[in-house]
Amino acid sequence: MNAPIRCLALLAALVAARAAAADNPDAALLQRGQYLATAGDCVACHTAPGGKPYVGGLIVPTPIGNIISTNITPSASAGIGRYTEAQFRDALRKGIRADGKHLYPAMPYTAYAQITDDDVHALYAYFMHDVAPVDSKPAPTRLPFPFNVRASMAAWNLLFLDGKPFTPDPGKSAAWNRGAYLVRGLAHCGTCHTPRNLLMAEQSSRELAGGAVGTWFAPNITADANSGIGGWSEQDLVDYLKFGHARGKAQAAGPMAEAVDHSLQYLEPADLQAIAAYLRTVPAQHDPADTQAVDRWGAAFDGIAAQRGTAFPDDAEQWNGAQLYDAYCASCHQASGEGSFDGDLPPLFHNTATGRRNTDNLVMVILDGIRWTDATGVRMPAFANELGDRQIAVLANYLTQHYGNPSAQVTAGQVMALRAGGAPSHLVALARWAMVAAVVLILAIFLLWRRRRRRREASVGRA
Amino acid sequence: MAAPASADIVVIGAGIVGALAARRLAQQGASVLILEAGPRLERARIVAAFRNSPLKGNWMAPYPPSPWAPHPIYVPKDNGYLVQAGPYPYPAEYIRAVGGTTWHWAAQAWRLVPNDVRIRSLYGVGVDWPLSYEELDPWYQEAEEILGVAGADNTGSPRQHPFPMAPVAEPWSMRRVRERLAPTYAVVANTVARNSRGYDGRPACVGNNSCQPICPVNAQYLGINAVESAEAAGAKVVPNAVVYRIEHDAKGRIAAVHYYAPDKSEHRVTGKTFILAANGIESPKLLLLSASSTYPNGLANRSGMVGRHLMDHPSTSLTFYADEELWLGRGPQSPSSINTLRDGAFRSRHAPYRLDFTNISQVLNVTNDLIREGVYGAEFEKQLRWRAARQINVKNVLEVLPNPDNRIALSSEKDAMGIPKPEAHYAIDDYTRRGAEVSKADFAKIAELMGGTGLRYSAEGHFANNQHITGTLSMGNDPASSVVDGFGRTHDHENLFVCGTGVMPTAATMNSTLTAVALALRTAEHILPAKQAHAATTHAGHEADRA
Amino acid sequence: MMALDESGRTAANHADPADPSRRRLLVGLLTAYTASLIPWALAQEVPDEQRGAFMALSAILVGRPSLDATQATRTYDALVANDARFPADAQALLALINERHIDPLQLQATLDNEHSPLAPLPRQIMRAWVLGVVGSGDSARCIAYESALNAVMVADVLKPPTYAYGSYGSWSGKPV
Repeated sequence: MNAPIRCLALLAALVAARAAAADNPDAALLQRGQYLATAGDCVACHTAPGGKPYVGGLIVPTPIGNIISTNITPSASAGIGRYTEAQFRDALRKGIRADGKHLYPAMPYTAYAQITDDDVHALYAYFMHDVAPVDSKPAPTRLPFPFNVRASMAAWNLLFLDGKPFTPDPGKSAAWNRGAYLVRGLAHCGTCHTPRNLLMAEQSSRELAGGAVGTWFAPNITADANSGIGGWSEQDLVDYLKFGHARGKAQAAGPMAEAVDHSLQYLEPADLQAIAAYLRTVPAQHDPADTQAVDRWGAAFDGIAAQRGTAFPDDAEQWNGAQLYDAYCASCHQASGEGSFDGDLPPLFHNTATGRRNTDNLVMVILDGIRWTDATGVRMPAFANELGDRQIAVLANYLTQHYGNPSAQVTAGQVMALRAGGAPSHLVALARWAMVAAVVLILAIFLLWRRRRRRREASVGRA
Repeated sequence: MAAPASADIVVIGAGIVGALAARRLAQQGASVLILEAGPRLERARIVAAFRNSPLKGNWMAPYPPSPWAPHPIYVPKDNGYLVQAGPYPYPAEYIRAVGGTTWHWAAQAWRLVPNDVRIRSLYGVGVDWPLSYEELDPWYQEAEEILGVAGADNTGSPRQHPFPMAPVAEPWSMRRVRERLAPTYAVVANTVARNSRGYDGRPACVGNNSCQPICPVNAQYLGINAVESAEAAGAKVVPNAVVYRIEHDAKGRIAAVHYYAPDKSEHRVTGKTFILAANGIESPKLLLLSASSTYPNGLANRSGMVGRHLMDHPSTSLTFYADEELWLGRGPQSPSSINTLRDGAFRSRHAPYRLDFTNISQVLNVTNDLIREGVYGAEFEKQLRWRAARQINVKNVLEVLPNPDNRIALSSEKDAMGIPKPEAHYAIDDYTRRGAEVSKADFAKIAELMGGTGLRYSAEGHFANNQHITGTLSMGNDPASSVVDGFGRTHDHENLFVCGTGVMPTAATMNSTLTAVALALRTAEHILPAKQAHAATTHAGHEADRA
Repeated sequence: MMALDESGRTAANHADPADPSRRRLLVGLLTAYTASLIPWALAQEVPDEQRGAFMALSAILVGRPSLDATQATRTYDALVANDARFPADAQALLALINERHIDPLQLQATLDNEHSPLAPLPRQIMRAWVLGVVGSGDSARCIAYESALNAVMVADVLKPPTYAYGSYGSWSGKPV
């Protein structure tokens, strides 16, 4: 945020008639607020692609329809400019807007409920004074009936919202507590990485055991040695969070690459270490099908050597896995999958991308590539326009077969579904049919009861 | 779906120049059709074809010619498409395909130096251009921003605005050359259309060391990028359309062009304005082919200059072993050069030149040398490693003066479509030979500064061709001695323009592609002026691209 | 009674590489001199004399302490496909080196000076292993690139052209 805009924001704050806590908050508070907002990655959801920060308009596809993020700049007409700190706190922690309406838990208020009062105060100061107000309101969220009834969220919250802010565990170290606070709260890791129940709430007994994020899969990051990150050192975790890359283990892609790009890479080393320390204590969730660590599979393999000099078929649909690998992948990942000398272009063996039995992420990274917003830009190209569904399936199976877990399979149908945005959800239809069924049931019961009453009256009448 | 039969603007040739002219015009709202003789190509196939080729040193191996749109092939056998009439061979390589010859270039994207356009006035040789460097400057800038040019400021071509990107990271080998040649020689980073960071949705260079014949990762700007951006802007590309005749009306305006499909069916395309951008050999060939009773010497040729003043940048070179391990082959192929010998009073006496260092891996060359020398056994590997680590090559890039006898003409031989082949008449004159002679002292000095042994000069009297096909459709103010004016409009046909390196009336010493692109953008602006300030368009366009 | 293989040919048929009775150790094809050149290869099993001669020549010419068996088979097959006389020529050349104790560095000069019909052979074998190319002119074929020995011999420092060296800027450091 540059100086002139910061001055303008301060000026606007002074001019606006608001019962704000401090008219002239100090720089340290604002800086802390900005840091916390980065840790919370508010900008990731509250900014549309190519749009100004925090103006909202990002479409979050959910099984119940598209939820559109709101403007949280301090604009009085379009954003949260009129919010008191209490209202801001309620939105963050309870999912309740200033007008009393409920937010959908696409806003991860169940995680932000952990944020302490002090941190809320700093965030509030940052959003009110350090973010440029923009008077443009994005389209409102319109979910299909019955999910447009926000009041139902009250019941949902009753079941699933633990509204208490984080309290440190005195039996654990300061670093662990800091890590727990960040992971469960601001960094809201569970929002993606914790599986959800039928009513789409996080299953607290299976913290960080893995969950779906649109077409991507946020994997198990519990301390399990095979299914999770149990075999990772603290340095591996810190490297992954800071650089999006743990050498010889994994690379962040899709939504996780965004999380590192926008948020995690900016966290202080002590905070990253705290997150790592906490993660290594999350109760292990073991999938017996994982017979070894997902980052230990495979070995160097040159599948091309035997075909060198063989002309490629004219029809690219006939190319086998080695040929596809040669033409599209080997230039960076090398002929035997061993990666570049410096490991920055990673090897494909000992890599969770090929070691996981759930192959959705492998397909997605081939389709979408990896692209950061910083100077590196494209780290891996997207092949969606170059390779068809069947080609990607052939290629991905070649990769898992030779560099990863051979029982990890990819089908052309899977690629087609992922390319289209995922298998369609039936939740809306289910909910509606459930309601119809409920109405029919009630009607049936009422009619039965009425018929019985009439019969009784008739039999009484005849007596 | 049938190919379109008409457009506002018809462009002949889907290389980098034709495509970028087309893109600019399409962005201004014109309907644009690009006819390309050759097929569409795919990068992945080219990469695989190279790796499967038995001739790794032959950069044309992954680009086999199409029977209906042949291009010259010399290795392993000359396919005889470019007929050599001599006295000196002109073995230019080019690619007739969507994307053109810049599928395989080293992406050297230099500007001229200001004096390059005034060598007649200044030095009494060659000709003056019909425009100044200052007029070309903003077009160079636009071209650099489209291509994504990475460059350093100390390279002698003045500029108003910074390069889009910082210079590409210097390989160790070039750093040692630069350090050891200083202060005698200033070795500078080449100005290249190669990403030193993510740019325009394309990644930064990762050092595949195969710029020629193909950049596998799209870090280098190629003609295919230009074609894709032209199509994104609304231009339509028709591949496998071999234009064989340009048709004019009674008033001398161009009415249509005729092309063959591969099955030799004939097609006619009409338009309002025509841009010929088929490279410095194919474009004059087409004009000569289009002779009619009104224009018996070919179109745009009342001056008789079409095809004449054929130029290139010939090279001689020195290969030697440095006295330390450099290991060429790490990073891009053409990272550094010496640019201080391109201009000066001596230009009235002998050709100026650049001195280009290569970073191409020497493993293949050394392997061939060792096998030829019969080095077998354990000694082979020792020698391979020793030589590949130390072998280095420096070459000159010489200017050739425009000479009307050096020309492209129509051969009596015909290709598979019955179209006369192009024929090259060429000679290297004393002006250039004297330059080569002078450069030998630089070669020797460079070897000395690098502790060089095993010095091997290129064969005396032999000049390598650098495929910078210039001069054949020279621009000038005088219709009697030039083919097009300063905006690329042919003197003889009001609605026929030429874009490409062929319009450059002198060759200077800089690789010609960027100049050709800059001129083409200026031509496009002249045909259809932009509605907004072009700087705003370019910058805004790039911000969106980079998001 | 002579052993018959599945196609009914007798063990005396030299051209059947699958016949186990023809298998032998490489050392059996060498004299003390050539054995001294390639001590690592002596215990290698070879299916027959022709392939054995090829292996011995390859080991002597290439000068490396091991040769990949799969690559050897592919290379041999390609050389034979290119020239049916190759197996006999290979045997003849090995016999020559065996008898006359020719130093690998003198071999080509010796053959050239004597205008030997075997003079092209060492280059063919070297090109096949080191360059990964068999045949010449229009019949030249690539049989290896990344695993061609000239790439392998410098693989600690260089990647073959078209293969990325590393992330941007990684080539600026001194080669290790």
